[in-house]
Amino acid sequence: MKKFLCLVCLVAALALSNAVPAQGLLKKIKDKVVNKTIDKEVEKKTGVPSESSESGNNNSNSSSSGKPTNKGGGGLTNTEPPDVKAQMAEAETAHGAKNYSDARYSLQQALMGIEIQLGRQILKSLPPAIVSVPADTLQDKVMSTQWGWSNLSIQRVYRKDDKQLTITIGNNGLYAGVVNMYFANAGMMEANNDKQNFKQVRVKGNKAIIQYDDRKGYTLMMQMGQTSLIVWECINFANEQEVMTAANSFDIDGIKKMMGEQ
Amino acid sequence: MKRIIIIICAGFFAMNVSAQDFAKDMTTAKTAYAAGKLEESHFALQQAMQEIDLIVGKEVLKLLPPKMDSLTINTKDDNVSANAGFVGTTIHRSYGKFTKKADLSIISNSPMVSMLNTFLNSPLLGGMAGDANTKTVKVQGYKGRLEKKPGSTEDKNDYELQIPLGSALITFTVDDCSDTEIMAMANTIPLPQIAKLIQ
Repeated sequence: MKKFLCLVCLVAALALSNAVPAQGLLKKIKDKVVNKTIDKEVEKKTGVPSESSESGNNNSNSSSSGKPTNKGGGGLTNTEPPDVKAQMAEAETAHGAKNYSDARYSLQQALMGIEIQLGRQILKSLPPAIVSVPADTLQDKVMSTQWGWSNLSIQRVYRKDDKQLTITIGNNGLYAGVVNMYFANAGMMEANNDKQNFKQVRVKGNKAIIQYDDRKGYTLMMQMGQTSLIVWECINFANEQEVMTAANSFDIDGIKKMMGEQ
Repeated sequence: MKRIIIIICAGFFAMNVSAQDFAKDMTTAKTAYAAGKLEESHFALQQAMQEIDLIVGKEVLKLLPPKMDSLTINTKDDNVSANAGFVGTTIHRSYGKFTKKADLSIISNSPMVSMLNTFLNSPLLGGMAGDANTKTVKVQGYKGRLEKKPGSTEDKNDYELQIPLGSALITFTVDDCSDTEIMAMANTIPLPQIAKLIQ
């Protein structure tokens, strides 16, 4: 009986302690409803929207700072790459008029136009599927900077389920130099551990380095000629052999020729 | 008199050669492009761009004053080198001999310089925010950074003035001088005309 009484007291105490904030909450809701009704009455009589209704509307359109948030727009239109012939003609005209700044600009545009065309040609030459993984051509990219031939990047992604291969063909002396540094300094890469995650390999006779990282998968980098570089990033590939088979399926000599490398 | 004639002829010949080279490169670029040889066309266009950079460099040298205060020009040191890619074009001239020398170098059209200029222009990154030896100055309306360096003796100082201009950087150094001296010399450099040419 005593135990039962104790239990009843405990339940009653708990119920009371919960009732205090619950009462507060009820009061707040009641106040809000009353305020809204008064606001509506005032709005009806004066025709001026009340503060609370204004703030409610603003929340849906803008951030807390009052700056409107963008809900969408048409974006930028896809412009065609520069017309090489027209830019070359403009460069000649500007040069004839001793307007060297304009001549240089037109030459840069012509160079960019050629690089984009070249990138598209290379993308066209790449196989439609690699180790039965099809190309996702929507992700094809050709990037060129105004600095001419030193920052051309061509990228294609092959993807099936969670297996992905990204090939990036770049023309950047700096990156190529980094790879060269690895080749020149064998001590930096031939790690003598139980599990080797970094080593030198050959792709169709070209020197390359392959790296494995649990989070990123396989990365294979191959120096091509003086300044170009090909990088294969393989996610969820079974083993090194599969990566090498994939890399060897590309027409390296064809890409080399198109990039003007020896 | 003979010398002057020879110099004028040499100058005319040099200008003519570069104009011819430009035309030749453009013809090669157009022919290669028409034949679908994109890489060849690209190379020829780059060569043409280097020709333009060299011409611009020579034009800039023509604009520079023949004297800096009492320091005379060292014509042998005049140099313009053009490089496609990261290094850009370098234009160089020096004045004076032995202990007191002034040196002017302009690097233009270099992406590396544009990165450096962002750094120089951003006080938070520490470029313009000076310590005891650096201060921000204005030369003909262009902002620059003046740095004091130890000179040939303890009581003398060298000064270096850097003026960033888009993707170009003008560096002017004078040995054993005062800040007023270097600023007076810098004011004789026609910066607006140079900026118009190199940008």
